[in-house]
Amino acid sequence: MERLQIERLGGLAGFGGPGSRIKSKGEVGMSDLSAADQRAVADLFDNKTPIPPPKPDAFRYRITRQTAQGTQAIEVPEDVVPPALRNSVKDTLE
Amino acid sequence: MCTCFIVPRDILTKLSQDPRLPPDIRKAAADTARVAQEIRDLRIQALRLTSIATMIQAPVTAIAAAPAITVFDCGHTQSLPGRPISGPQAGDDSAKRAFDETTQVAKFYKDVFGRNSIDNAGMTMMSSIHYGNRFNNAMWNGTQMLYGDGDNAIFVDFTLGNDVIGHELTHGVTQHSLQLEYTDDAGGLNESLSDCFGSMFRQWEKGQDAAAADWLIGSDIIGPSARDRNITCLRDMADPAGAHCLAPQPTQYSQITPGMDPHYSSGPPNLAFYTACKTLGGKSWEKIGQVWYRVMTTFGPSPRMKIPEFANRTRQVAGQMFGGTPDVGDAIEQGWSAVGLSRSEGAAIA
Ligand SMILES: [Zn+2]
Repeated sequence: MERLQIERLGGLAGFGGPGSRIKSKGEVGMSDLSAADQRAVADLFDNKTPIPPPKPDAFRYRITRQTAQGTQAIEVPEDVVPPALRNSVKDTLE
Repeated sequence: MCTCFIVPRDILTKLSQDPRLPPDIRKAAADTARVAQEIRDLRIQALRLTSIATMIQAPVTAIAAAPAITVFDCGHTQSLPGRPISGPQAGDDSAKRAFDETTQVAKFYKDVFGRNSIDNAGMTMMSSIHYGNRFNNAMWNGTQMLYGDGDNAIFVDFTLGNDVIGHELTHGVTQHSLQLEYTDDAGGLNESLSDCFGSMFRQWEKGQDAAAADWLIGSDIIGPSARDRNITCLRDMADPAGAHCLAPQPTQYSQITPGMDPHYSSGPPNLAFYTACKTLGGKSWEKIGQVWYRVMTTFGPSPRMKIPEFANRTRQVAGQMFGGTPDVGDAIEQGWSAVGLSRSEGAAIA
């Protein structure tokens, strides 16, 4: 089953940056997502979703998937990430 | 619902009228469509005001009334703006803080810098509290502030930080002045200005001079599990790389790389501001803060501004404002030297 790795980045506290003590990661199975969310994810990877300019202190999400061609990763603003992906991550301290 | 509307309004309206859908889904779609339109109208209004106010700033400032302060309750959802709250007496501590501290930020900008609200034309200062479920963030979304409650482990309620409220409102001021983008050097400057004015606001409320201030950002929103790990702040303007910071930052301009998150590239300009204020002594907002404010508001939009260019403008403005008091220019020079951007180093980069 295809898995998506999700990481939450940025925000007022600078999640996930170099040296950051806060990391926020999660994982979801593509088949666990609704058909609409699966389409939304595919559109994000295919560059079909209009990406708004970054907003101050808004979160961004790095979404990674394994394909036959290798690992593919995108980084997109919170606005365009389906809630099922956003809610999959857990904030932890290192 | 998110702050950017990826589902067109006509589709939401259709969904809200689709008898095959359960009533709660239909209601959510109807609510989303209505709010989406309101937010869209607000954005258009804000954009229009940004350009008009930039063109005719002085006359608008003169006639505009003091800003209205409004607070909405998202009820732990991400639906914006949420339910209106009548006033600070409504019985919700987060609401009271959002009303009171936003009012104070308006007063700070008015009394200290002569600025009338975010756009210098009396724009309503709008906040939504209880945004999201245990949401570990606060932000400025282009038209309003949003505050999460925090998870009560790493963070507590984001309205507990008066510097956080000053930080978010200053993103609005930057949007209506320098209009800095949010990437590379410009992004770092954008973040740094919010930290500088957020910290100055905190010092102003406490009546602290540069020596008494702690120069921490977000120290009042750090939750118990972060404190257990000796984390005391998001960032420390006096010691950006400190291990007590949730997100330690670089201290030298040479460490900034393209694509770096603005919350990291703000480290060197934060340290330059702190060093200048500490070197000069006295209250940060009285002289160094005045120079930073003039650089922010009197040159017109500079969306891709580089940090060395900002440094040069602070030198120029310090000469204009405090030419008879060379201590101010000297302190600013020490500030930029501390981050590898002395006059000669800056010239070599340019
Ligand atoms: Zn910020």
